[in-house]
Amino acid sequence: MGRRISETSLEEMATYCKGELGRYDKKTDEVTFELDDTNLPYLWSVEGIARLLRGILGVQRGLQEIKVSRGKYSVEVDLSVSGVRPFIAAFVAKGKKVDSQFIKQLVQLQEKFCDGYGRKRQKVSIGLYSYKRIKFPVSYKAARPESVRFVPLGFSEEMDLSEIIERHPKGKDYGWILKDFISYPVLVDGNGSVLSFPPIINSDSLGKVEEGDSDIFFEVTGTDEPSVILAANIFAYALSERGFELFTVEVKYPDRKLVCPVLRSETMRITRDQVRGLLGLDLKDSELKKLLERFGYSFNDYVVSIPPYRADIMHPFDVIEDVAIAYGFWNIPSKELESYSSGCSLPVVGFIDRVREIVIGLGYQELMSPILSNKAVLYDRMCTKDVGTVEIDNYMSELFSVVRTWLTPMNMEVLSKNKHVDFPQMIFEQGLVTERDCEKIADYEKISIVSSHSGADFTEAKQVLEYLMRQLGISFEIREAELGFLIPGRAAEVFVSRRRIGFLGEISPQVLENWGIEMPVAALELNVSALFDVSVKND
Amino acid sequence: MHDLERLRLSLHPLERKVLPLLTGIKGIQDLVKESGLSDTEVRRALQWLGGKGLVEVNESGYLQVNLDSNGLRYARESLPERRFVVALKSGALTLDDVRNKSGLSDEEMNISVGILRRMGVIEIGKDLLVRLVREGPVSGELDSEVFLRKKFPLLLSSLGEHEKKVLDGLKSRKGIVRVDEVKDMRASILPLGSDVLKAGIDVDVIDRVTPDIIKSGSWKGKAFRRYDIHSNVPRVFGGRKQHYRRFLEEVRQKLLSMGFTEMNGPIVETEFWNMDALFMPQFHSARDIHDAYYVKVPKYSSDLPQALVSKVKAAHEHGVAGSRGWRYSFDVKRTHRHVLRTQDTSISPRILSSPELRVPGKYFQMVRCFRYDVIDATHLADFNQIGGFVVEEGINFRHLIGLLRLFAREFAETDEVRVVPAYFPFTEPSAAVYAKHPDMGWIELGGSGIFRPEMTHPLGVKAPVIAWGIGVERLGMFRLGLKDIRQLFSHDLEFLRSVKVV
Repeated sequence: MGRRISETSLEEMATYCKGELGRYDKKTDEVTFELDDTNLPYLWSVEGIARLLRGILGVQRGLQEIKVSRGKYSVEVDLSVSGVRPFIAAFVAKGKKVDSQFIKQLVQLQEKFCDGYGRKRQKVSIGLYSYKRIKFPVSYKAARPESVRFVPLGFSEEMDLSEIIERHPKGKDYGWILKDFISYPVLVDGNGSVLSFPPIINSDSLGKVEEGDSDIFFEVTGTDEPSVILAANIFAYALSERGFELFTVEVKYPDRKLVCPVLRSETMRITRDQVRGLLGLDLKDSELKKLLERFGYSFNDYVVSIPPYRADIMHPFDVIEDVAIAYGFWNIPSKELESYSSGCSLPVVGFIDRVREIVIGLGYQELMSPILSNKAVLYDRMCTKDVGTVEIDNYMSELFSVVRTWLTPMNMEVLSKNKHVDFPQMIFEQGLVTERDCEKIADYEKISIVSSHSGADFTEAKQVLEYLMRQLGISFEIREAELGFLIPGRAAEVFVSRRRIGFLGEISPQVLENWGIEMPVAALELNVSALFDVSVKND
Repeated sequence: MHDLERLRLSLHPLERKVLPLLTGIKGIQDLVKESGLSDTEVRRALQWLGGKGLVEVNESGYLQVNLDSNGLRYARESLPERRFVVALKSGALTLDDVRNKSGLSDEEMNISVGILRRMGVIEIGKDLLVRLVREGPVSGELDSEVFLRKKFPLLLSSLGEHEKKVLDGLKSRKGIVRVDEVKDMRASILPLGSDVLKAGIDVDVIDRVTPDIIKSGSWKGKAFRRYDIHSNVPRVFGGRKQHYRRFLEEVRQKLLSMGFTEMNGPIVETEFWNMDALFMPQFHSARDIHDAYYVKVPKYSSDLPQALVSKVKAAHEHGVAGSRGWRYSFDVKRTHRHVLRTQDTSISPRILSSPELRVPGKYFQMVRCFRYDVIDATHLADFNQIGGFVVEEGINFRHLIGLLRLFAREFAETDEVRVVPAYFPFTEPSAAVYAKHPDMGWIELGGSGIFRPEMTHPLGVKAPVIAWGIGVERLGMFRLGLKDIRQLFSHDLEFLRSVKVV
């Protein structure tokens, strides 16, 4: 960076990178930044962060250019890769001995880039090689898996490409990327030696950079050309700033040629109105220029040149955000909203609160459970059948593999976990459930009210139902019902305007046994959304 | 009132029964016999009398031997080994025949065979027949049979060495005897007790106030028994709101008072509303922070507004409102894919594109969201999110900072805030806000930003929209003083009944 900074200003420095200071280790002088922005991969390297902060601190100004000499190297791209992994960019960096610290940082940038921005290597993967072992031109082609054999990095035996996918750890990790293809991409040098098998693994003989090497061949392949070019640019800047001398590599596609790295900077026009409109700041041209230059842009009569290591700028607002960051958020005076608006909650919320208030008045303790549950809890233990549940395809844990359809099982679970707590246990939960009727999915607010003590019975549940409906002014009827989880003859369904909206009764001893509950339980569950619809109609 | 008088009037009917009986040192059993009260009633009376300083009560424990369920049966009938021997009286039998003849269970059979072989009474031959080989040891009564005929309960200390051995043998068998610890009380009257007794305890006091007493007026001129107001009473628990929900309601009330209107959306969302309509590109790392749960059936929605889908697709592919877009091929099928809502912001594009949107307007939502994540002390399967937006012509980043300051005042009771650059895929610029709470120190309050024009233009909104979100779980934990996020959804009734109301 060319500047000493204090430990306390590290925190401020991190904010310019849209991150937080993770920690600073005094002993090793190592700083960790935790970065938020997944769209600014150039900051995933010490060189990128230093470059940004040099601008912020005024050590350098404006768009930084790097020197690249014309190289006599080429990569020949065979037509066969066009359907598999069509794009490649490359360059050569010479003249600087690498040490272990440098290799570590280089690998960190490589891995973070390929993993995040490169979509776990699918979109972009990067290879670094010791230049002196490679004979140019390098060719990039697709080959039948069994036709190419080489020793992959970290192994001592030769394998063909399918064997690598099956047996090499990286093959197991990234083989899925190639599963739909019959031929796989390979990079081969002028001697016919394999450099690598992108995006899986490099060769053991050519595919590594070691301490003491001073010349590097960089290559990046992928399925999205702008991302491939961006990766090459980010590495070119990083290596150039590390003191390497860069040389171009000519990529020869069957139909065109591309000299890499492509350090072209795009331009974008912004307006003063846009700056004023978005930030509420009236900046003079000279101020605007200064701020943009601190952030590594160049600014010329409202035309902004974007550094080649950034691909996140889509809209003038992206540039203007950087103006605000360079200006310092804390320097921007705040303004209060002035227009009047009256607040109101969802119509159902007021109704729900009335219902809860009535039930709490009866002495019930409210609970709140996760909405995700599982079929064993919802149906098996409750001795009842699934009549339509939203299930998760890719659940992490079977415990949370479906969206709940009713709430009484949640209360049963609570009772089962509190067998040694004072009775009576009177609990309720009010919350959302989701029901699925074939292809139709709907959310409902429900309430389940449960009472457990030695005298808990149907009468108690019915008393609660009648009290609640009386308070809400809703008329209802109950009909005897056979429900697997309630004792026959002590079970009823609740109807309002001929619509079935819930049930009440004594939980069957079989269900209690399934939950390991040793006290009688009386339960009442109602669809609050349905009650609300009725109450609205009544009004 | 004189102490003695006070004490006389405070005696419970049980105490009045027991006190006169304490003419020497008495044990529970004596008092039960003499008073005709139950064991528990005598114990309670002694406890109360002791508490009042009228009686000295010494508690000591002793061990008592009782017959258990099998033991009671064997005492009535006979021991399994006896029945085994009886069955063999008429000659050798197979084990199955013995079982049928004696009616012993498998377990009883096994025990009997073991005991009788050890005593050398029976033998099982190569022909698998069981025969009696030596009747001597079982000709008379067995020690264990003698033991079972005793009168239970027995004081353990009253047993001799030999009887203790017999007891150990029986204890090793299932359900014959058990040794219980009994707390005994020995009580003697204290001088104060004698004084009370002398003063007369046969006072006519009213014990409970009953409707009859009130109606008839029979209470007039009489005293009521005085209660020991310090004695323990059983705990009761009231109905109450769940602690975290109560906090969420408070947040809702604050937002309503600031003029925000509540919005809602479904739990099962489409990728369209959840991400695409927010201008989050389909194939980009920006999307990785939202690992979604995908719905099994139905996989795809059939009711998305197709005209809007086309506009969003165009914005993603080649931009809108001066943007170059994400430059990739938008997958229309994927946008219909059902997911569980991963973020509350999924509701914003629904409202922004709705004809009911009011400009200027302030909106909020508080909803449950779901992400593919491991559950631990800092992550839940479900979590609550609170967020919203402000839409108004002419508002800008300065208003956004003003809004964040307002939130800091309302939710963290402070004017000290730090607004720093942040990244959200759908806002530009984006900011995070930290607030210095008077008690809690610096806390991350939430995030905010101005919705990108590429997001709002396809939805038909040209005015600037400030989006915001509050880190409500963290705020709730701070407020409720909780360390583990799972306590927000606690199922521990003791905790739920006692967690502080804040």
